Amino acid sequence: MVTVQRAIEMLGVPTVLITVEPEESAQARPPRALCPRGFIAGHSLGRPDDEALQKWIVMDALGLLRETPRPGEVVHRDYT
Amino acid sequence: MEKPLELSRYCVPFTPFTKALEESLICLVTTAAVRAKSDPPFNVEGDNSFRRIDSSLSTADLAYDDAHYDHACVDRDLNCVFPADRLAALAREGRIAGVTAEHFSMGYSQALRELRETTVPQIARAVSAVRPDAVLLTGG
Repeated sequence: MVTVQRAIEMLGVPTVLITVEPEESAQARPPRALCPRGFIAGHSLGRPDDEALQKWIVMDALGLLRETPRPGEVVHRDYT
Repeated sequence: MEKPLELSRYCVPFTPFTKALEESLICLVTTAAVRAKSDPPFNVEGDNSFRRIDSSLSTADLAYDDAHYDHACVDRDLNCVFPADRLAALAREGRIAGVTAEHFSMGYSQALRELRETTVPQIARAVSAVRPDAVLLTGG
């Protein structure tokens, strides 16, 4: 996933990744990444039909585009 | 074909984001093997192709082909891995300007060299061609 992200970023397009495998993602050095703490694969955006939670996570991820850059790092946040 | 430029993984490619989100078109890219129901399925054992997904489709018009992540969430709500409806709602609310005409999905693959040398450069060019201001990526 980070391989694709880095390739897109190299073409001059800003990117942000939502990852539930933060160790694996961090090793690959993503330009920007958010890990919703405690979520698992298949549930990257949390619970089914929870529109408010899913939009919150999407906006938080997009918000990383505007924050102080931490390239190569995965930002962890809680959503409970 | 010319070999794609490769960086050491210790280098991090970084493109500054200078626009406001309210003025930005967002493109969604996933590795969760999502596709339009009318498109051919991914091979769940390994598939290096990718699908373009018309962003006017809602998740009700989409399917996934996967045998590698937990499906309890996506069987009820594909937004758990592919938040297309949520981005559309954020656009209606004016929190982003909109979405690109197409989103993109890759499938599951262990053929990493072919992925890196062929699929990844192809999908990166296809994503760039729909002119997103920023790209949101999700795994499974």
